[in-house]
Amino acid sequence: MAKSQESFDLVDLKLKVSGRGDRLFFGFSSVAAYFAFSLVFLIVIFLGNASFSTFKTQGLAFFTGSTWDDAAGVYQIFPMLVGSVLCSILGLLISAPISIAIAYFIEFMAPPRLAKALTNIVDLLAALPSIVIAIWGAFVFAPVAAQWAQIINNKLGFIPGLQNTSGTFVGSPFIAGWILAIMMTPIITSVCREIIGSVDKDLVSAALALGGTRFSTMRRVVIPTARGGITGGILLGLGRGLGETIAVLYVLNLVFIVNFNILENYGGSVAPMIAAYYGESSEVGVSALLAAGVALFLITLFVNLIAQIFVGRYEKKMAS
Amino acid sequence: MTTETLRLVTPETPWRVRSKSQLVYIFIASTLPAALTFLIADQMKLAGLIALTIVFLPLQLLAASLAALITVGKRGILDAILTVSVLFLMLTMGFLLGSVALSLVQKGFKALSFHAIYQNSFYVTSVTSLEYGGLGHALVGTLVIVGIAVIFAVPIGIAVGVFLTETQSRMRGSVRFLSQAMTGLPSIVSGLFVFAFLYLTGWVQRSAILGSVALFLLMLPTIIRLSEEVLKLVPQELRYAALALGAPRHKAFFQVIFPAARSGIITTCLLGTARVIGETAPLIVLVTYLPSTNFNPLSGDMASMPTYIYSWLKFSTDLANQRAWGGALALMILVGVLFTLARFFGRKRF
Repeated sequence: MAKSQESFDLVDLKLKVSGRGDRLFFGFSSVAAYFAFSLVFLIVIFLGNASFSTFKTQGLAFFTGSTWDDAAGVYQIFPMLVGSVLCSILGLLISAPISIAIAYFIEFMAPPRLAKALTNIVDLLAALPSIVIAIWGAFVFAPVAAQWAQIINNKLGFIPGLQNTSGTFVGSPFIAGWILAIMMTPIITSVCREIIGSVDKDLVSAALALGGTRFSTMRRVVIPTARGGITGGILLGLGRGLGETIAVLYVLNLVFIVNFNILENYGGSVAPMIAAYYGESSEVGVSALLAAGVALFLITLFVNLIAQIFVGRYEKKMAS
Repeated sequence: MTTETLRLVTPETPWRVRSKSQLVYIFIASTLPAALTFLIADQMKLAGLIALTIVFLPLQLLAASLAALITVGKRGILDAILTVSVLFLMLTMGFLLGSVALSLVQKGFKALSFHAIYQNSFYVTSVTSLEYGGLGHALVGTLVIVGIAVIFAVPIGIAVGVFLTETQSRMRGSVRFLSQAMTGLPSIVSGLFVFAFLYLTGWVQRSAILGSVALFLLMLPTIIRLSEEVLKLVPQELRYAALALGAPRHKAFFQVIFPAARSGIITTCLLGTARVIGETAPLIVLVTYLPSTNFNPLSGDMASMPTYIYSWLKFSTDLANQRAWGGALALMILVGVLFTLARFFGRKRF
C-alpha cells in the first residue's frame, strides 16, 4: 500500500478545484476529514468536562488510592489501573509468541492455499464479538483454566506472583490474560503477517541460498528487518487488551485491592469496572466512571499513537 | 516493481528439496512422540493438557531435533525446534478457537429455531420453554442501530478517504495519523463519550440513536483506512484519463473512480459493519434493553443482539443460558455472513 504513496500526488497537473460541484465535493470531504481529525480532541474535552468535578474533589488520589465507595463519595482507581496493565501484559505474553508463530507459518511454511485460508480466518477472528468470548470464557474456559491455575500453583506456588491464599482459582488475572490473548491475537497476527510478508522475498531466498538455515534466516534477516513493525503490532494488541470490556467482565473478579498474584481469585481492570459499576452508581459516581474513562482513553491513545509511529516508520522504510 | 518483469526464470530452491530418507525421518519424528505420549498418558492417568505440555512437547522437540541432527547435521536442530514451536503455538490458539466454535454450535443450536428468529421475548421469563419467544426483537434492534451507524459512517469515511487520496492538503498526514489512532478507541470509552456528549448535555434523550452514534465512532476509523486503501488501488491512469477528457474532479470521482473501486467499497462497508455488530459495551451503557420490538430509534428502549445475550446472562437458569448461547451463535453467524459477503465482493480487485 505504502509504495504507491509517492506516485499519488497529482502535483504535476496543478489541478484546480473549479466550479460549484468541485467545491461542494472537496468541501464535504474536507469537513469530514477535519471532523475525523478533531474527534480525539472532542472526546477528551467532553469526557474531561463531564468528569472534571471528580478530578477536582478526588485530586491525585484518584489515580493512587485504592478505595471505591459510592456512598462515601471516595473514588480511586489505582488497583484497576494496575490490573489493566497486569492482565494486558499477561495477554501479550501469551498472544505475542502465538501471533508471530501464526504469521511466520502463513508467510513461510504454509502452502499458498492454506495461507490464504488462514489469513481469512484471522481477519474474521478480528471481528469476533467480545460478548461471544465472554460467554465462552465464563461457562467453558474459566473452569478449565482454573484447573490449569491450580496445577501451576501446586507445582510452582513457591514463586512470588504465583501464590494463591484463597484456595479458589476462578476470577483470576491469569484467566483474564488468556481471554485477552484470544482477543489480541487476530490484531497482532494480521499486522505481523503484513510486516513479515513485506520483507523482501529475494533477501530471504538469498540468505537461504548462502546456506542459512530457516532459523538463522528468521533470526538474522526477517526479525531485524521487521522488528519495528512487529513492535507496533504488539502495541496495537496491547491497546486492544487495555480497552477490552465485556469479555474480561465475565471472567475477572473485580476487587479494589492491588493484586500482583496472577493466580489469586481477584484482580482489576478499568474498562470492565466501568461497565460493572455503571448501572448502580449515583450521579457523582457516574462522573467518577467518566473520569476513569478519560484515564483509560488517554492510556490507550498513548499506546496506539506509539504503535502507529512504529508501524508508520516501518512502512516508510519499506517504501524507500 | 521492475524485478517482477525481469523474473522470467523461477529461481531454484535447492534447500526445499527433501530426500527419501529425510522424509522417513520426518515421518517418524512426527508420529512417534504422539504415540509415546498417548501410551504414557494412558499408563500414568495424566490429564490431556498436562500430557500435551509436559510429555508431548519435550518429546516432540527431542524427536524433531534428533531427526534434524541425523539428516541435516547440527545446523538443523534450531530449525526443527523453530518448526515444532511454531506448530505448537498455532495449535494452542487453534484449540482454543475450536473450542469456542464447538461450544457455540453445541450449546447454541438448541435455542435457535425458525420461530426464534422472528418472535420477541416480551412474555418470556428465565424459565419459559424454548418453544416460545426468540430474538426477533434483537435482530430488528441491531439492524436499526447498526444500520444508522453505517448510513452515517460510510459516506463520511469515504469522504475522508477522498481527502486522503484525491487532495494534496498538508493536513493529510495528521488526519490519517489521528483517525488511525482512533482505531484503538476502547468501545466502553466510545459509549461514555456519547453519554457525556449527547445525553448529559441534554441534546438527545435516552434512545437507540445514542448507541448508533457510539458504533459510528467505532467503525469510522476502519472505514477510513479501508476506503483509502481501496481508492489507492484505482489505477492512476484512470484518473488522468477522466480529467484529460475534461471532466470536473467530482464527476471524475463519481463516474470513473468510484465505480472502479465499487467492489472494494462494498467490502469496506461490510467489514466495518462486521466489526461493530457485536459491540456490547457501548450499548449496555447507552441503550436500555427492551424485551419487545421497537422500530423507532429516536425514542424508547431497544434490544440488540449483544444486549439480548447480556440480558439472558444475568439469569442463572439453564433455559436462560441456552437462550444466551443461542443469541451468541446467531450473532456469530451474522458476523460470518457479513464477512463471507465481504470476501465475495472483495475478490474482484485490481
